[in-house]
Amino acid sequence: MFRILKKSLKTGVATGRHPQATQSSEPLTPEAHKKASAFNRSLAIREVDTGSCNACEVEMNALTNPVYDAERFGIHIAASPRHADALVVTGPVTVNMARALKDVYKQTPDPKLVIALGDCAIDCGAFKGSYAVTGPVDRHIPVDVRIPGCPPRPADILKALTDIQERP
Amino acid sequence: MAETKSCDTELKTAFPSIVQRDTTQREFSHFFVAKDLLPTIARHLHTQPGLHGRLALLWAVDNRPARNTYELHYLFTLEPSHRWVLLSTELAKDDRVFPSITPHIHAAQWYEREIRDMFGLIPQGHPDLRRLVRHEHWPQGAHPLKKDFPWDRALGRQQGEHRFHRIEGEGVFEVPVGPIHAGIIEPGHFRFSVAGEPIMQLELHHFWTHRGVEKLFEQQPLAAAVPLAERVSGDTTFGHSLAYCQAVESLRHLDVPRRGRYLRSLFLELERLHNHLGDVGAICNDTAYALPHAHCSRMKEQIMQLNDRLTGSRFLRGLNRVGGVALDLTAAQLAEIAAEIDRMEQDFSELESIIAHNASLIDRLEATGVLTERTAWDHAVVGVVGRASGLDQDLRRDRPFAAYDELSVKVVHYRYGDVRARMRVRMDEIHESMRLIREIRLRIPQGPVAVESSPRAQAGEWALSAVEGWRGEILYMVMAGDNETIQRCKVRDPSFVNWPAIQWAVIGNIIPDFPLINKSFNLSYAGNDL
Ligand code: SF4
Repeated sequence: MFRILKKSLKTGVATGRHPQATQSSEPLTPEAHKKASAFNRSLAIREVDTGSCNACEVEMNALTNPVYDAERFGIHIAASPRHADALVVTGPVTVNMARALKDVYKQTPDPKLVIALGDCAIDCGAFKGSYAVTGPVDRHIPVDVRIPGCPPRPADILKALTDIQERP
Repeated sequence: MAETKSCDTELKTAFPSIVQRDTTQREFSHFFVAKDLLPTIARHLHTQPGLHGRLALLWAVDNRPARNTYELHYLFTLEPSHRWVLLSTELAKDDRVFPSITPHIHAAQWYEREIRDMFGLIPQGHPDLRRLVRHEHWPQGAHPLKKDFPWDRALGRQQGEHRFHRIEGEGVFEVPVGPIHAGIIEPGHFRFSVAGEPIMQLELHHFWTHRGVEKLFEQQPLAAAVPLAERVSGDTTFGHSLAYCQAVESLRHLDVPRRGRYLRSLFLELERLHNHLGDVGAICNDTAYALPHAHCSRMKEQIMQLNDRLTGSRFLRGLNRVGGVALDLTAAQLAEIAAEIDRMEQDFSELESIIAHNASLIDRLEATGVLTERTAWDHAVVGVVGRASGLDQDLRRDRPFAAYDELSVKVVHYRYGDVRARMRVRMDEIHESMRLIREIRLRIPQGPVAVESSPRAQAGEWALSAVEGWRGEILYMVMAGDNETIQRCKVRDPSFVNWPAIQWAVIGNIIPDFPLINKSFNLSYAGNDL
């Protein structure tokens, strides 16, 4: 117990010890803002990987570490699409994942936002054209927000997500 | 090496019909064998006490455009000497059938199914001929790595359903999990059969993130495919790009300058560090012990921020290039790394003692998800998972690459094969990586960090390369085509060999422990699915 307390005191507050966001996502459309206003600044996110290289997942996971601590902005990761306000989709949509993506979209209650995270989700990135890839996310479901980068830095993701919560 | 000679002569005496090929690469014997003899010779290599060959890689090449044949290559690592022995065979003209070695060498099972899916060649005698990479909805006859299969035409769809192995009987339930999981994880499907609590059987159904990576390589020029290699498995960006670059460098007979090789080792250790830190925390977290997770993910973040400050990429992207590395570090930057590492070693050691004193955590980890040495060997398991199950292997020591021939790597291994052993291997390797980084800083020579690559690679030539990434052994085989193109690139992430082994490690455990066991393996789906 003493050891743990000592460690915590020594470490201090890690939250916020990160570089500022540098790159901004595309400005939010008025429609997206309107949808987001229903969530009252809390955002439950379901993350769906439709064929990413997993670096985008690593950065999404980083949002939950003490340094970025997205929870303090009311952003949390939901375990099921049925509890989600927003889907964050990473990766090009592979032939094998196309069905699953549509299923998840259907199971997410309205109103919902779809956020395409990373270059792959936006335009298939390095995997463009492959026989095993059906196309970017917006070929399958409507996308409201795009966060470019390969992968986008956690600070940029956090900025984009908190922008969504802003009142227009 | 006398040992080498004796192994070559032994093979030639035992099988007079095999033909030895000249190889330019040292520590590498290449034999050409008739296909019918393959299973016998492979078995000999695998089981003969003095040889103890581990199947390291099995790949096919569609050589119909040039020679009207399919080639099959079987790479073995002889365990005592770490020497590579390669057996090759050809399927003439319309021959589509090759003898399966799976009945003798279990580790071949996924490779042979992969070859069937990607090339349409049939492994005769394979006990399980269900589709592996191709999901059942892929149309009949679609074998993407055949040269006449267009790389850019999206696959159609047919009806079909995957048949799982069934256990039937009173009280037996099936529990399907995935492809989409509850956390921020990649997609994969797990099918459990349980009777009461304990797991009787687990079957994996993966390859959801199959993006056609190997086919995409074939569309790129040799020098331009590094970014694709970086994106095979994002968390192993540096390991994969290093393995790819090394293969192309040996095709072009390039010698990377010493400083470049030292920097490569440095970056590889930084990658190992942030991944291992994350894993130790995540294993604790899966026992609902959140405190170490918070500390570990903070430290992981610190390393990634350090990467970003030094190189402009948190994942060390854009650093490797054919011929060396794209950027040099100043003495001040090296000092910054060392200072950060010193601070973190202290930080991590304090956390380690907190973890070690938590009896309820250790109780959860001990004897959970045991992978025995025998099962690990039969699956030719590599890397952290292998070392936790008693397999004393590490390419940094056994086949030194980058600057590891000048650095002494201490390899740890444990024999219990449980979650705790896998966590301890990682913890020990964190310290070892930190020590290596300090040693690199002291010993790094001055000089250039890359050579210009001028010599061209001959069409049809190929090279193998091996890197001990943080998960384990990453293998690349790159074969040059005409005009600096890639004719074939075989990618083998350690996950591909370690995934099947998890099916055995969970037997007898309860489903609630599965996430913990899975985390302790921490395998890549993207690197496995390609
Ligand atoms: S955008 Fe980049 S980092 Fe994200 S999944 Fe695609 S290749 Fe990986």
